[in-house]
Amino acid sequence: MTAPEIVFVGDDALAAKTGDGGVRNALAASLRASGTWRDVVPGKQEVTVQFNPLTLPPAVAFERLTEQCQFIPGDADMSARHVSLSMRADEASAPDLARLAGENGLSQSAFLQRILASPLTVDMMGFTAGFAYVAGVDPALSAARLDVPRQRVPAGSVGLISGQLGLYALAGPAGWPIIGRIAQPLFDAQSTAPFTLEAGMRISLRIEG
Amino acid sequence: MVLAVVRPGLLATIQGCARQGLRHQGIPASGPADSLSMALANRLCGNAPDASAIEITFGGAEFAFNQDTAFSFAGACATATLSARPVPSHETLQAMAGDRLAFAHPLAGVRTYLAIPGGFAADLAFASTSTFVPAAFGGHAGRALLGTDTLSPASVAPAPERLVTPPALRPAMKRAHALRAAPGPDAAFLPDTIWAQPSQATNRMDRTGIELAGSWPVPEGGAHRPSAALFPGAVQLTPSGNMFVLLPDAQTTGGYPHVLQVIRADRHILGQIAPGDRITFLRRSADEAYQDLKRKSKYLSDWLPGFAF
Repeated sequence: MTAPEIVFVGDDALAAKTGDGGVRNALAASLRASGTWRDVVPGKQEVTVQFNPLTLPPAVAFERLTEQCQFIPGDADMSARHVSLSMRADEASAPDLARLAGENGLSQSAFLQRILASPLTVDMMGFTAGFAYVAGVDPALSAARLDVPRQRVPAGSVGLISGQLGLYALAGPAGWPIIGRIAQPLFDAQSTAPFTLEAGMRISLRIEG
Repeated sequence: MVLAVVRPGLLATIQGCARQGLRHQGIPASGPADSLSMALANRLCGNAPDASAIEITFGGAEFAFNQDTAFSFAGACATATLSARPVPSHETLQAMAGDRLAFAHPLAGVRTYLAIPGGFAADLAFASTSTFVPAAFGGHAGRALLGTDTLSPASVAPAPERLVTPPALRPAMKRAHALRAAPGPDAAFLPDTIWAQPSQATNRMDRTGIELAGSWPVPEGGAHRPSAALFPGAVQLTPSGNMFVLLPDAQTTGGYPHVLQVIRADRHILGQIAPGDRITFLRRSADEAYQDLKRKSKYLSDWLPGFAF
């Protein structure tokens, strides 16, 4: 691909606008390996890097990232990692399910079936510890972010916005409508590999009970 | 064991350095909401700027010393009482075993930092002792301090030189704040009135962020952006017409329009914004922000060598 456009994100971060696709994770890995940046964070459409202007002045940072984006390595090998998860969809676990199913003109079980039948893949991690953006949800299902985010949803909550699920590994604030709760823990601070999910992983979802 | 928590107040946590390099896995920065006040408190105990200290929220906390020790505090509470005697912030102080240190509610500002020589012993998680309560790691068992906790120094440190923060370096605690900010990647959604019209902090605030009431117009289709990286200091425009300013425990990515970024030099101020405070944004380019950062860093460097914002 051609070198991405690079833009400032405030005063101490830059974004390389790659567009979506696996190239983001490959570019992020190579930028991380360069050791130039404090943080390298892939988003949906770009890779953002943060720097300390006192050690890397903004103009120098811009040049450095431009150079580093001249050669983008090939798509990282997302080997066939796979995880099976079970989801509770009772009213307490899924406060927005009935509304979203109704808005899409489906029964709750038909609505859930469309999600379970979708080819679900972890597209990126982020937002908060262990939060997974899961791509592949049937694009015919529509759902929008809440106008007022909830201040706290329980660990394991499953959010839905059009085309993707968001798995909240931890209790915390949430702007996505909630359609279920994963039964198994997705984060273990004591483990050397604290996150169940990783970018590129495929997910099989089933309804518990 | 050097001190026992008698009352933690609304929220007291141990904070150390900010985490870095793990935001792509969703691990936020954490660390002190007001890194400058914590560095100043640590300086008075002979510590590094990010040695583990207690972050007290809205005062109302009380501690009992179990041994003689030096200590210091800085931030929102200008004074405290040590066994009923008033003691000032911004000085190296001495406690005797049995002394009780109590903080009242501050008149302005939010967070006060309590330091001891050597820093407090705390759990190390992802290369930092900072507490991140939502994921229960770092600090004291990954949680807020409770009235039954006892704390120890991280290391045996020599008695510090008796110091006083130079008055010109003490951050003023105010109910109105001017924050220098650079345009964010979604600045196209920024209302024109943003620079002229002050906004007000609501009571929706914690270590992840502060809501600013503004009734800002949200352009059609402006509510949903593809999720992108966010850092502390990011200002998001939410579909409710309010803004949300991110603090150290904030999420690492998000999808509301990222309209402004409070500049690195001013992010420590965010930790002292209380509900009802007035906020005015001052426009900066990335390069102007760099000059601001150099100036502020130079101003502090003699007293706080190694303080990195």
